[in-house]
Amino acid sequence: MSQAISFTFNGAQMQCEEGQSIAAVLINLEQRELRKTRFGNEPRSIFCGIGVCYDCVVVINGLSNQRSCLIEVRDGMKVESSL
Amino acid sequence: MIIVIGAGPAGLAAAEAASRNGSEVALLDSASRMGGQYWRHRTKVSGYQSYRADTIFHKVSQAQSVTHISGANVWGAEREGDLIRINYLQGGIESSLTAERVIIATGAYDRTLPFPGWDTPGSMTPGAAQSLLKGHGVLAGKKVIVAGTGPFLLPVATGLAEGGAEIVGLIDANSPLRWSLSPLALLTNIAKFSELIYYARLIRKHRIRPQFGRAVTAFTDGVATISTINSRFEIDSRKCQLVKADVVAVGWGFVPDLSLGGILGCAQKVDSDGTVIFDVDSDQMSSQPYIWIAGEATGIGGADLSLIEGEIAGLAASGQKIEQSLLRQRAHKQRFADALRRTYPVRDGWRSWITSSTTICRCEEVTSQEIEDSVSDLGAEDSRTSKLFTRAGMGLCQGRMCSRNVSEIVSGITKCAVADAERIAASNRPIAAPISLGQLADGKNSL
Repeated sequence: MSQAISFTFNGAQMQCEEGQSIAAVLINLEQRELRKTRFGNEPRSIFCGIGVCYDCVVVINGLSNQRSCLIEVRDGMKVESSL
Repeated sequence: MIIVIGAGPAGLAAAEAASRNGSEVALLDSASRMGGQYWRHRTKVSGYQSYRADTIFHKVSQAQSVTHISGANVWGAEREGDLIRINYLQGGIESSLTAERVIIATGAYDRTLPFPGWDTPGSMTPGAAQSLLKGHGVLAGKKVIVAGTGPFLLPVATGLAEGGAEIVGLIDANSPLRWSLSPLALLTNIAKFSELIYYARLIRKHRIRPQFGRAVTAFTDGVATISTINSRFEIDSRKCQLVKADVVAVGWGFVPDLSLGGILGCAQKVDSDGTVIFDVDSDQMSSQPYIWIAGEATGIGGADLSLIEGEIAGLAASGQKIEQSLLRQRAHKQRFADALRRTYPVRDGWRSWITSSTTICRCEEVTSQEIEDSVSDLGAEDSRTSKLFTRAGMGLCQGRMCSRNVSEIVSGITKCAVADAERIAASNRPIAAPISLGQLADGKNSL
């Protein structure tokens, strides 16, 4: 059985089961926008879903440019749209 | 030892075949589970037909001489005398493996075309919708339009429908009547009919109405514009409908991942549809000695062809005999792959869907207007020069999403066809995956 875990996204506490990617968990929680673009400040979300396009990149525990479609969410993780 | 890179259908078949005579195999893959993009389901998912996956997973896991190294993100490769060194990151740690023989089976990703709104949340590739569902058990949206071209749209639409999504559009730009152009390919691949019937049943069950000769040409605020297009894919602006959807999953076939073979100097060529692929001999060996390539990177053909190519590569790399019957099976599947290219072409007319403000390079946020200006005002004559002026293709994805589109937009303005050399150059990158200098500088875990 999957275990319930919690993490934060832009400071908000989120609950989910382990074993899913960060992007999948957030989309399931109806949080579709993952970040804003650098120049146009436009919202972006998952696009290719398999780690090729880098559109879903987020900051994980302070480390930037992490692909949220590939990385599984872990208990206590701090996920942010930007630094 | 043989290093197999990629644990999708081709890589698994290669590892299994090579292990038959006890050859040592290291099977490297970036995912945590084997299966690649095609067989990525973590549990049984309704709406997909993938009967062979479990058999081959079992065989590879049981093979004593195969070591599956998961979570290994291969970023580079180099020759060291008679050996080939494969460099990868695993859990943030830089490691490497060396072997005399390498089989590359790195697969492909969705080909995408820009349209206004393709960069907004809710617009994604069919592969993304598929990976969310099969890999993570999450529905991409409640009301979904699946569009683009090719048979891959069927399992995506039926899978989402079985998962509980409402499919408000299943739209192929090409008509299935185009199959009549390839009667021989159909007759020699009769098994494909049973797959088609399987999906047709699900389409009826969920009351999905497939539409043809149309394309999603815009997506704004949860509304998709579905336009009628002509045989050149040019938009007929008088004929369009607006459909509410929270997700549009649009894909135009596939682009092979050539990075690794490119780094190792394996010769490439341009396929009949403009896709850059590796040139391999009848044993799947590349132009470089002791490097074999199998699966989508030698021509898009789907899992059936990948399995056979992988098996041939695995047998060849381990010095086993390759039966004539296997080569004949490959020829049949290749005929089917040719027919797929003929049935589901992507025509230049897609350029009529974009507007001056449409984003072309998603990473660097370069618009169609900026690319046009680089040609008409700054004198760029090819995509490489346009890229230097605009930064299109210089972002994190290194042009994997946009480079072909930029080439074709520039060619549309200059009225010069895209040269094969330009297509090949745009498909090659010195490093296969981004790696920080810090990770490179930190200690190396060498096996």
